[in-house]
Amino acid sequence: MVCLLLLQAAWAQKDSLQFDESNIYVYYHVVDKPGLSADTLFKRAWYFAKAADYMIKIEALPNAFTTTGKFLIYSGVSVVKKESGEVNYTLLIETKDNKYRYKLGGFVFTPYKRDRFGNMVAVPGIKVPLEKLLSKYSLKEANPILDQAGGFAIATGNKLSSFMERTSSVIKIQTVKKVATDRW
Amino acid sequence: MKKKLLLLSFFVATVFAASAQDTTKTDPPLTLSGSVDTYYKYDFSKHNNFPTSFASDQNSVSIGMIDLALKKKVGKAAFVGELSFGPRGQEQSIPNEGADKNSYHIQNLYVSYDVTDQLNLTAGYMATFMGYEVISPVGNFNYSTSYLFTNGPFQNPGFKATYSFSSKVSLMAGIFNDSWNYYQSVSKVNTFGAQLMVAPVTGWTAYLNVLSGKLSGTEFDLTTSYQITDAFKLGLNAADFTAADAVGDGGFTGVALYPQFAVSKDVTLGLRGEYFKTKTGSYLTYGPAPGSSVTALTFTANIKGGPLTFIPEVRFDNNKNVTDGFTNSKGVATKSASQFVLAAVYAF
Repeated sequence: MVCLLLLQAAWAQKDSLQFDESNIYVYYHVVDKPGLSADTLFKRAWYFAKAADYMIKIEALPNAFTTTGKFLIYSGVSVVKKESGEVNYTLLIETKDNKYRYKLGGFVFTPYKRDRFGNMVAVPGIKVPLEKLLSKYSLKEANPILDQAGGFAIATGNKLSSFMERTSSVIKIQTVKKVATDRW
Repeated sequence: MKKKLLLLSFFVATVFAASAQDTTKTDPPLTLSGSVDTYYKYDFSKHNNFPTSFASDQNSVSIGMIDLALKKKVGKAAFVGELSFGPRGQEQSIPNEGADKNSYHIQNLYVSYDVTDQLNLTAGYMATFMGYEVISPVGNFNYSTSYLFTNGPFQNPGFKATYSFSSKVSLMAGIFNDSWNYYQSVSKVNTFGAQLMVAPVTGWTAYLNVLSGKLSGTEFDLTTSYQITDAFKLGLNAADFTAADAVGDGGFTGVALYPQFAVSKDVTLGLRGEYFKTKTGSYLTYGPAPGSSVTALTFTANIKGGPLTFIPEVRFDNNKNVTDGFTNSKGVATKSASQFVLAAVYAF
C-alpha cells in the first residue's frame, strides 16, 4: 500500500501545476509569514534569487520582482538517460506584510536533438508552451515533460521557502571527529 | 513480513527521492544515444544508378548501421566516443584500414574542455563541421544523400577552438590533418578550418565554413536553416570545392534547398532540390563527369511513431549529358535515374 502511494506521488508531480485564469500552466502559492514585514521578506526573496544566480527584473509592483531561468528535461532511464529538451520559465515573487506569494509560469519547452558531434543541442526555432505540448507531442511524450516541470516547481518552491525561513543561511558547524593516537 | 514490506517501502521511497532530485542536474553521469536504421530500395533501372552515399542496395531489404554514442562530462571536461557497425557506419562512411580491413568503427572520438564559459577546446577524430547533411540517419530529413554531402568531408581529425561571443555568434578555428576521412594524417597536420555561426533571429542559424589544405584542397560552404513558422522550415546548403594541386585540377560547385512542411505532429513532407556542377579538370567526383552537372529532386516524408521514423522517398536525378554515368534497365546510357526508398530509423 505504502509503495503504491509513493508510486502515485512520484508520477503525479505534474498535478502540482495548475491552469491560471489565462489557461497558462502556473505553480502558484501564497504563504503566510506572521510577524515579518514586507521589506524583510523581500530581502530574503532577493537573497534567494541572487544565490540561484537568476536574472532579476524589478516589477512595477511594490516589493515584487521577476526572474527568468531554465531547467533541463531528461528522457530515458539508466544509461540511455539524456537531455531531451529544456524549459524556460519566469518566477514572480511578491511580498507584503505577514505574507508572500510566488508564481512560476511562462513554461516554454525547447526540444533537443543530437548533433553531428554527439552532443544534445536545442532545435532552433521550436518553442512549445507547456499547455500546448499535446499539439506537438503524444501523451506519452508530453507526460514526462509535465512531470519534470512539476518536480522542478516543487523543488524551487521548497528552496524559496527555506530562504524565507532563513533555514538555508544557517551554517551548521560539524564537529570533526578526531582520535588521539598518542595515547594508547 | 511486516519488516519486509517496510524495507521495500523505504527502498521505493529512496529510489523516487533520488529520481526527483535528478530533475535539476545539468549533466547526466554518462549518456548513451544512437540509432538503428534499415531500408528497402528499388531503382527503376533495376540496378543501382546513384553515386551518392548510402541506400545503395537494389531491390533489397538492407541494413544501414547501429550507431552508439557515449558521452560523459565532468565539470568542464568531456569526451564523446561514437561507434558504428554496418555498411553505412563502416566502409560507406569511415576508413577500412589495415590488412584485415579493420575499420575501428569510430565516427567520433574526441575530448573537449571548457576553458571558460565562452571558450571550448576540442581535439580528436571528429565529424566534419562542413555541410548540411550528416552520416547519422537521425540527423537528416532525407534518407538518400546529396551530391554535396557525398563529395564533401565526412570527418576531420584535428584540434579546434570555439569561442562564443554570445548565443547568436560564435567562431571556430582549427588545424586538422592533411587528408579528410582518415584516422591519421598522411604526413602533416596542415589543413586550416574555420566556422562562423550566426543566429540573426530566433529559429534562423547560418554557418559559414572554410576548409583549406595543400593536400585536401579548399572548400567554402554555407549551411543555413530557418524555422520560419511552427510548421515550415527552409534549409540551404551551398558549397564550392577546388581540388589541391597535388591531386589534380577541378572540383565542384553546388547548391541544395530543403523546404519541409509539417502537415501534422507526426507527419512532415519535404523536398530536396539540388544542382551540382563539376568543374573541368582531372579531379573526379561522385557524380557526373568533369565539366558537367546534375539536377536532383527528392520527395521525402517523415512519419513518426514515437522514436521510430518511417521515411518513404522518391528521387529523380537528371544529368546534363547522356554520358555522365546513368544507364537504363538495358544498360544503355541515359540522362536520368529514379528510385524509391522506404527506410525505418529508430533513435534512442
